[in-house]
Amino acid sequence: MTEDIISLIRENVIQGRVTQDDEGLDEGMVGQPGVTELTEKALAMGIDIRDIINKGLTEGMNLVGQKFELKEFYIPDMLASAEAVGAAMDLLKPHLDQSGIKPKGKVLLATVKGDLHDIGKNIVSILLRGAGYTVKDLGHDMEPQSIVNAVRVENPQFLGLSALLTSTMVNMRDTIQALEESGLRDKVKVIIGGAPVSEGYAKSIGADGYGSDGFQALAVIESLTST
Amino acid sequence: MIRKGLAGGSYQPLTEESIAKIDQTVMAVIEEVGFEVNSEAALRLFEQAGARVDREELRVRLPQAKARELIGMAPPEVKLCGQEEKHDVLLGGNRVYAGTGGTALYIYEPGTKQKRSATLEDLKRIARLVNRLDNIHLFMLPTYPNELPIEQVDVNRFFAGLDNTTKHIMGGVYTLDGVKQVLRMAEMAAGSAEKLRQRPLISMIGCSISPLKMDANYGDLVVEIAQRGIPLVCPAEPLCGATSPVTLAGNLVIQTADSLMGVMLTQIVKPGTPVIFGSVATNTDLRTLNYLAGSVEMGLLNAAGAQMAQFYHLPFYATGGMTDSKVLDAQSGYESAMSNLLCALAGANFIHDAAGMMEFALTACYEKFVIDNEILGMVMRAVAGIKVNDDTLAFDLIREVGPGGNFVAAKHTRRFMRREHYQPTLSDRNSREEWEAKGGKAIWQKAGEKARRLIAERKYQLPAAVRQRILLEVTGIVD
Repeated sequence: MTEDIISLIRENVIQGRVTQDDEGLDEGMVGQPGVTELTEKALAMGIDIRDIINKGLTEGMNLVGQKFELKEFYIPDMLASAEAVGAAMDLLKPHLDQSGIKPKGKVLLATVKGDLHDIGKNIVSILLRGAGYTVKDLGHDMEPQSIVNAVRVENPQFLGLSALLTSTMVNMRDTIQALEESGLRDKVKVIIGGAPVSEGYAKSIGADGYGSDGFQALAVIESLTST
Repeated sequence: MIRKGLAGGSYQPLTEESIAKIDQTVMAVIEEVGFEVNSEAALRLFEQAGARVDREELRVRLPQAKARELIGMAPPEVKLCGQEEKHDVLLGGNRVYAGTGGTALYIYEPGTKQKRSATLEDLKRIARLVNRLDNIHLFMLPTYPNELPIEQVDVNRFFAGLDNTTKHIMGGVYTLDGVKQVLRMAEMAAGSAEKLRQRPLISMIGCSISPLKMDANYGDLVVEIAQRGIPLVCPAEPLCGATSPVTLAGNLVIQTADSLMGVMLTQIVKPGTPVIFGSVATNTDLRTLNYLAGSVEMGLLNAAGAQMAQFYHLPFYATGGMTDSKVLDAQSGYESAMSNLLCALAGANFIHDAAGMMEFALTACYEKFVIDNEILGMVMRAVAGIKVNDDTLAFDLIREVGPGGNFVAAKHTRRFMRREHYQPTLSDRNSREEWEAKGGKAIWQKAGEKARRLIAERKYQLPAAVRQRILLEVTGIVD
C-alpha cells in the first residue's frame, strides 16, 4: 500500500498533475487524485516523509529530467511537474522538523530596477520550488534598496537577480553594491540570469553564480548549497 | 503525431473557368487528334468500346460523350493497403499523402560526393529506412537493381519491398512475365487472389508516352493489370517545349489527355477498375533539353493536375519533392520543399517522388530520404492549417493570464503544444554553442547517422511461412 501511494505520487509528478482536476499528459486522468491529494493521503497514513520526498517526488522529478534530456518533454511539462512537487513540499514543510529533514533553504528572486520582464524569473521560481527550496518572489522593477531591505528581513541563503535588457543589467551591479554598503553581502549568495548577461558579466560585478536558463540556475544553486 | 490524409485544396492555381477551358481542349484533342496506340490488345478494346480506329495510323479517336462516359466509370476513390492496416491510404477527394518515387539508377553518397550504381541491397535497405520514416506514407520502389538481368528485376524489386516494409508498395514494371510473377507473389502475401483485390498490398504503374502515344509493351501491361483488378496508375510525363507545348496550360492539356487515355482503357477492360489519374508533368531546360525535377513550374503543373483530377472525380498521383542538385546543398532543400508544398496545399492525393530523389530523378540518396521526411512533416503541418475555435482562441486563458503574464506554465500550453506545432525530427534548433558542442554537424551528416541507425535497428520480414512459399514457388528471387 505504501509502495502504491509512493509510485502514484511519482507517476503524477511525471504527469505534472497538481490536483485531481488536472489533465496531465495521458488521456482520462481528470478526476483521479493528483500529487496534492496523494501527498495528503500519504501523510494521513503515516508514511515516512523521507520516502515521500526521496522515492516519490525527487525520483519523479529525476525521471522528468531524463525525459527532458531525451527531448520527449518540453519546458511546460517540466514546469507542470515542478509545480506539482512544489505543492507537495508546501504540504510537507510543517512536518520536516520532526522527521529530521533539513529544509533546502530560502531563495529571494527579483527582476531589477527599470525592468518589467519576469517570465524567466517566474520559471526559475517554479523550478526552485519543485526542487524543494522556499522561494520568495519580490516581483519586478525592484529598487536596490528594496531588495536590500527584503534580504535583511527574509534572511535568505540565495538572492536571484534577473534582467532582460542591456539597459537594466547594470542595476544588478548597483544592487550588489547596495548589499555591500549595508554589510549584508556575505550573508547571501547572489545568482544572476537573463538574456544579456553571461558568466563573465557575473564575475565582473561580483556575483557568486550565473544561470543561462532555469535549469542552470537550479544547478548553480544546488552546487552552491552543497559547498 | 503522424499527419496524413488531411484535406488540402487551399492553393488553387487554376480558376474554375480555366479548368473548364482545359477540359474542353482535352476533349477536342481526344475527339479530333486522337492517340497512337501500338498495342494490338488495347487497339481492339478501344475499337469494341466504340472508338473510331484508323488501323493504318494506329490512331484512336473517341467521341466526347463516350470519353466522358468511360471516365465516369472509374471509381472516385482508390484504397491502397499496407501489410499493416495502419498504413492503408484512401486516395481521392483532396486528401494528401506522400511517398517515395522511382526509378533511380544511382545512389549518391554525400561523404565522397560521388554516385554509384544502385543494387538490390540498396533497395532493401531503403525499404527498411522508409518503413521507419513516418511522414512517408507509401513506398514506391525507388531504385533499379543494376546487377540483375531484366527478367529478374520485377520479382526482386517487389520482393525487396514486401519483405522489408509494411507500407503499401507501388512500382513501375518492366516485363509482362514479371508482372504475372509479381501478382502471384502478392497473392501469396495477401492470402489469395480475392484477398489481394480486397486489400491490394501492391499497385503498378503503366506510363504513356507523351504526346498522345501508347507503346505496345505498356498497352499490354495496362490491359493485364486492369484485368487482374490491381490498382494502376496511368501517369503522363509531358515536358514543356519538348513533348508538350511550352506553355503550362498546353502542358496540362497533354498531361490530362494522356493520363485519361490510360484511365479509359482500364475502364474498357473492366468497368470500375481501380485506376489513378497521374501526372509527372514538368518542363525542360531548353538550352540542353534536360528533364527538370526541381523547377517551380513542376510544382505549379502538379498542383493544377490535382485540380483537374478533382474536376474529373479521379484519385490523383502527383510528382513533387525532387531536386536537380547533384549534392545535398541549399538547392536540394529549397527545390524539394517548394514542389512538395505546392502539390500538398493543392490537395494532391499521392505525391510521389516526394522523398529521396535528386539529379533529374536519376539518383537516390539515403540521407535525402531522412531530410525529405522532415520537409514532408512540415508540409503536412501546413496542410493541416489553422484551427479556430473557442479552445484555440483561448479568450478565457488570456483573461486569466492578463497583461504581463506568461503562457509557459499554462495548462492550455501543455494541452496544445504537441498538436499545434510540428515537432522536428531532424532540424537543428540548438543555440550555436550547443550545436558546436554536439560536433557542429551539417544536416546531411545528422541525416546519415539517423539513416544508418534506423536501418540497423529493426528489420521487418514477411511472415516465415509466406516468405518460404514465395521463395519456393516464384523463381528468380535473390534472397
